[in-house]
Amino acid sequence: MSLSRDNFRLAYRSLKAAKARSFLTMLGIIIGVSAVIMVVCIGQGLKQQIAGQLGRYGQNILSVTPGPSSTSGFGTVTGMSGTNSSLLTNNDLITVESTPGVAEAVPLATASGSMTGDHTVSSPFIVATNANFPDIINQSFSSGGFFDSNYGSRTVVLGANIAQKLFNNNAPLGQTLTWRGQQFLVAGVYNIFNAPPFSVESNFDNAVFVPYTSAQQVSGNTLGIYQILARSSNVTQTLHVVAAVRSALVNAHGGSNDVTVTRASDSNGASNQTIHLLTMLVAGAAIIALVVGGVGIMDVMLVSVTERMQEIGLRKAIGATNRQIMRQFVAEAFVLSVLGALAGVVIAVAGVGLLRAYTSIQAILVWQVMVFAPLIAVAVGVFFGSMPALKAARKDPIDALRYE
Amino acid sequence: MSLIELKDVSKLYGFGDATSVALDEVNLAIEQGECVAVMGPSGSGKSTLMNVIGLLDRPTHGDYHLNTQKVSRLSANQRARYRRDRIGFIFQSFNLLPRLTALDNVALPLLYKGMSIGKRNRKAWDMLERVGLGDRAYYLPRQLSGGQAQSVAIARALVNNPQLIIADEPTGNLDSNSSRLVMELLSEIHKTGNTVIFVTHNPELTRYATRVVYMQDGAIKYDEQTKLGQVGRYARQVMYAVPETTEEDDLAGVSAIMPVLDKRAAAEKVKRTRTTKRKKTARNRKAASK
Repeated sequence: MSLSRDNFRLAYRSLKAAKARSFLTMLGIIIGVSAVIMVVCIGQGLKQQIAGQLGRYGQNILSVTPGPSSTSGFGTVTGMSGTNSSLLTNNDLITVESTPGVAEAVPLATASGSMTGDHTVSSPFIVATNANFPDIINQSFSSGGFFDSNYGSRTVVLGANIAQKLFNNNAPLGQTLTWRGQQFLVAGVYNIFNAPPFSVESNFDNAVFVPYTSAQQVSGNTLGIYQILARSSNVTQTLHVVAAVRSALVNAHGGSNDVTVTRASDSNGASNQTIHLLTMLVAGAAIIALVVGGVGIMDVMLVSVTERMQEIGLRKAIGATNRQIMRQFVAEAFVLSVLGALAGVVIAVAGVGLLRAYTSIQAILVWQVMVFAPLIAVAVGVFFGSMPALKAARKDPIDALRYE
Repeated sequence: MSLIELKDVSKLYGFGDATSVALDEVNLAIEQGECVAVMGPSGSGKSTLMNVIGLLDRPTHGDYHLNTQKVSRLSANQRARYRRDRIGFIFQSFNLLPRLTALDNVALPLLYKGMSIGKRNRKAWDMLERVGLGDRAYYLPRQLSGGQAQSVAIARALVNNPQLIIADEPTGNLDSNSSRLVMELLSEIHKTGNTVIFVTHNPELTRYATRVVYMQDGAIKYDEQTKLGQVGRYARQVMYAVPETTEEDDLAGVSAIMPVLDKRAAAEKVKRTRTTKRKKTARNRKAASK
């Protein structure tokens, strides 16, 4: 069926004549298209953020977390499994370090207590780690550097957010802060971590990094380690090293398999997959919204056909064939869904822009979905619009003319 | 052969006991160039006859030849094309599309013919000039008076150069001045050689006709040739006849008066043998009252 320019001109005119009705008809399509696009863009953004982290970890980084690995296909999200089982110990750290193939290992442990710089933060996120931390996690500093043996044991490194809280806009570098009565020198401040939500690094902006041994001394007790990150000396051997570390730890624990050892990038892949799945799920829901939008077009078109019965009768009386009437209404459905789809794209682009500007969700415009979502919307709109059009076309001219 | 030939054309509505006869074996031939006025009471089948002749409706029985071609069994789309190319319609309620300008309304039939927009507008404009509304081309129907709106409708009916103009009570919604304007337009069309058929309740308007057909109960009751400018004889008689009533008639009721008219008609050459239900009841009542 070919639609001529006249059809579109006519359709546009009659839609313009009933603006409110046309807008309500389009609403379903607008919401559907913008929802589909935004969901996919947000999902893609999250994946890219994870990919960024993946690059930082590198292929040669091992992750050791307490608790047996879960049996589900997606593994555990690193750093979140420590709650339901005992934490790792210093001995585990030594076991990991001494496993052949491991170049260095870094503990991640939490400590508690309020800290006071220019201001007091009552319960900061305190990460106790050692000087090898920058070898494992690449992250630039806004000032200073990570603590090492040169600085002495009473030094800390601050995440960007916590630095702001403790010292306002005063440069924290070289200042001291007090933790449990002890003075600590600020050795460096990190830039903002570009990390996705729910990842290990997502909290590092709020973290105060303290030397592990100092933290233990100051806290006065042994700190539980929630994760050990280790670097294998040879990238290609990483998976062998993972196995070696696992068996070494199982041995050290007397044969109980109560730790999870993975390549850090693999667990990222797992959460990547989870987000992919979530995106698909929400996009599926949004596509249903799109179809509901199509049903909306059908409803309003049916009302429109009934309202314009006399018009249809007259057009037929002066010589319009069934096909010509059909075309007119299909053209209306087409114009409605094209306008709705375009509005949906515009709203989605604006929404993505707002998300990027005002939230930590770095949504990314995906051109594929920006092309296909409107196309599907138009197809849905025309499909559902053609049913009322068929009804209009088949109307008997006299019945239509007499219709009140 | 005549332009229009109806042979034993019947139109029934409904089924079973609910069946009603809108046209009852009508035979009618109309020549090219005639101007036919169709009269008759409401429900007498005038509009159905117009719809059948105008190919809006299909007869239940009988044959219809238009221009020597048998058109009573054409498909919906074939009839649509016939209507588009050969027939112009004028309705009582104008039936202009309210959101289109006068010009676009007139151009509508050309759109369905597939003409380009420039050509369409030029022809529509010419036609509007012809009905005297060249300066109202961009008015919307609601901005026009009744007479002007009907003139636009006439322009629309004419724009395709049809052989046949069918007007179903074109002056039904108009005051007498506008009626005269519209009828003048119609008779002008007639004078240029078109065939015009119009339905009216106003016997005065039969002055514009060369032939008056009077319908009752779905059949043609009188059919007479008249001169232009004269009111049809039967039209006048039917509309103005005041039958004498007797005491008997009063007793029998109003329905019984009807046969008086019938008797007069029977004196003329009316071939009508069918006995209507109404006549039967009237006769029975008369008998009962005696």
